[in-house]
Amino acid sequence: MDEQQKRLASCFSAVFPELSCEEIIHASPATVPSWDSVAVVTLLTVIEEEFGISIEEDDPAKFDSFQRILSYLQEAERKSQSPNDVG
Amino acid sequence: MKLVEALNILQSEKQRKGESFTCFLATGMNPLHLKTFLAAELSLLYLYQRIEIHQGLYGDFLGNLNRLANADADCGIVLMEWGDLDSRLGLRTVTEWSASACIDILSNAKARALQVQETIEKTCQRMPVVLCMPTLPLPPISFVPGWQASSLEIDLKALVQSVASQVSQFPQVRILSPQRTELVSPLRERLDVKSELLSGFPYKLGHASTLAGLLACLTRMPAPKKGLITDLDDTLWRGILGEVGVDGISWDLDHHSQMHALYQGLLNAFSSEGVLLAVASKNEPSLVQEVFNRKDLALSANSIFPIEVSWGPKSEAVARILKTWNVGPDSVVFIDDSSLELAEVKASHPEVECIQFPTKDSAAIYDLVLHLRDLFGRSSISQEDSIRVKTMRSSHSGLAAYEAGKTSPTRFLEQIEAEISFNFGKSPLDPRALELVNKTNQFNLNGKRYTEASWHRYFLDPTSFLMLVSYKDKFGPLGKIAVIAGRHNKKLNIDMWVMSCRAFSRRIEHRCLEELFAKFDVDEIELDYSPTDRNSPLAQFLMEILSVTPSPKCTISRRALAAQSDAFPRLQETTNG
Repeated sequence: MDEQQKRLASCFSAVFPELSCEEIIHASPATVPSWDSVAVVTLLTVIEEEFGISIEEDDPAKFDSFQRILSYLQEAERKSQSPNDVG
Repeated sequence: MKLVEALNILQSEKQRKGESFTCFLATGMNPLHLKTFLAAELSLLYLYQRIEIHQGLYGDFLGNLNRLANADADCGIVLMEWGDLDSRLGLRTVTEWSASACIDILSNAKARALQVQETIEKTCQRMPVVLCMPTLPLPPISFVPGWQASSLEIDLKALVQSVASQVSQFPQVRILSPQRTELVSPLRERLDVKSELLSGFPYKLGHASTLAGLLACLTRMPAPKKGLITDLDDTLWRGILGEVGVDGISWDLDHHSQMHALYQGLLNAFSSEGVLLAVASKNEPSLVQEVFNRKDLALSANSIFPIEVSWGPKSEAVARILKTWNVGPDSVVFIDDSSLELAEVKASHPEVECIQFPTKDSAAIYDLVLHLRDLFGRSSISQEDSIRVKTMRSSHSGLAAYEAGKTSPTRFLEQIEAEISFNFGKSPLDPRALELVNKTNQFNLNGKRYTEASWHRYFLDPTSFLMLVSYKDKFGPLGKIAVIAGRHNKKLNIDMWVMSCRAFSRRIEHRCLEELFAKFDVDEIELDYSPTDRNSPLAQFLMEILSVTPSPKCTISRRALAAQSDAFPRLQETTNG
């Protein structure tokens, strides 16, 4: 697990404290009973705090798994490192 | 506080097994992160209790107020935003911002504000209510540009001020200060438009965190400090008395030392509010006396007791003051301009809060004045507060002679013409009783604290009783100084017993037990005793009666008490209730 994954996992752990590290990596609405709309808004806010970013997405429901959120963060980091490469 | 910190605090709080502290949050918004922050802040204040925050339905502010009025909670928090007075003042309703709509909005807001006021007045009879008036900026409804105050804005703000003014008359209602909110959470940093539209939660995270902290403080007011010890030179006044003389020191505009006058004025106010004031100064006593004779000093020497002026270490002066006051060092603040003196006092009295007086920095002195107001501020001033300094000064000399062994206990009590009165009235409950229970540490049966709601619940039990003890002697009244509460059902149980440290050495505790034996006609009293870090005076008293170290659920017999009490004269007494 790299540094970014660890930080994201700590965000998940704060919102879903019942999950183990292994469960966090595979977390999604299908695997986490407490994953509801309030949890998603809380999770995204914690992630914004942790990574110092503003998630510009009008539909929080799109962030429906640990892996998708991780992909979003990786993409956001790639864009911030290549400011001219904005699609 | 960051949201992740709040979540982690709540996670650890889940392990608590004690009683719960239940709060009903009445608001029209989705409280989302505010609720998380609030729960975390409350769990930091109520260290041993589980925190439960109940809420009503989204968008139903008035309905939620009614739910609060009927809720079984320890405290109610009413969080009102403009959209709660009329949905057109929020962002989630189809806008109708015409001039005629403004008239209709104001009319609607007036009707709803009246309902808010009436419901809060009703609710505060059952539980304490914390009220937060609208904190968000008004949307640009009126036709005037943003830099001009519209009549709608002025009228709406007058309306909520009027509600606040009306409900502030009730002691059970505490209102969040808009001025403090403005200082710590600037208006432009409050509204989160995106969050409001996405989730119905209109606050930026920082504002939610700040607001939660302030609301939690109002829910459980921090215990105010009890005593302030001040230095003199370059603190109470500008200048070194020994160098410039009595006429060379100053506290006025002409000498650019006006902030010292402000500091004096604050201490004078503290004195009238029952704060104990003392001086610890390295100086020539005769010179200091001359200064206190000056008519232009904003602080009377009569407000200060004791005045410790010598060339010895200040830590020793502070020790003497603490002994005279008989209060815990953690409830005392020491102020001096010298960092060396502060360090010397701190080394000997680590629990005393030591604060440097920033002599030549007017803005910093003003900040200090604000900070001191927070440390010593209280929601209300009782009669006992207003007479504290006077009675302490007048009784000190007599008590000192007694404690030094120069006067026998019998002789002492005869001389001071002591009068004690017992009031057993439960309806209405005197707020002074709860205040004493929650702030007394030394003569305290078990250290248990009560919320206003749990206090009221305790006395719903028909077997419960409350004994509130008042005392006066020739030195003056001490006011209501002791509380005993318990249950009488075949046997007599005492669940709480506190007595102000100001009333020590007068055998009042013996008289209280005698009164209970007589009133309830029992031969034994069981006490819910529990040792705490600070209740050794009570433990010592029990040991005197029991002749053994007291244990939980210890029992005092009428005979054992009589053996201790016979040697002392009965105080004059009256009984009510």
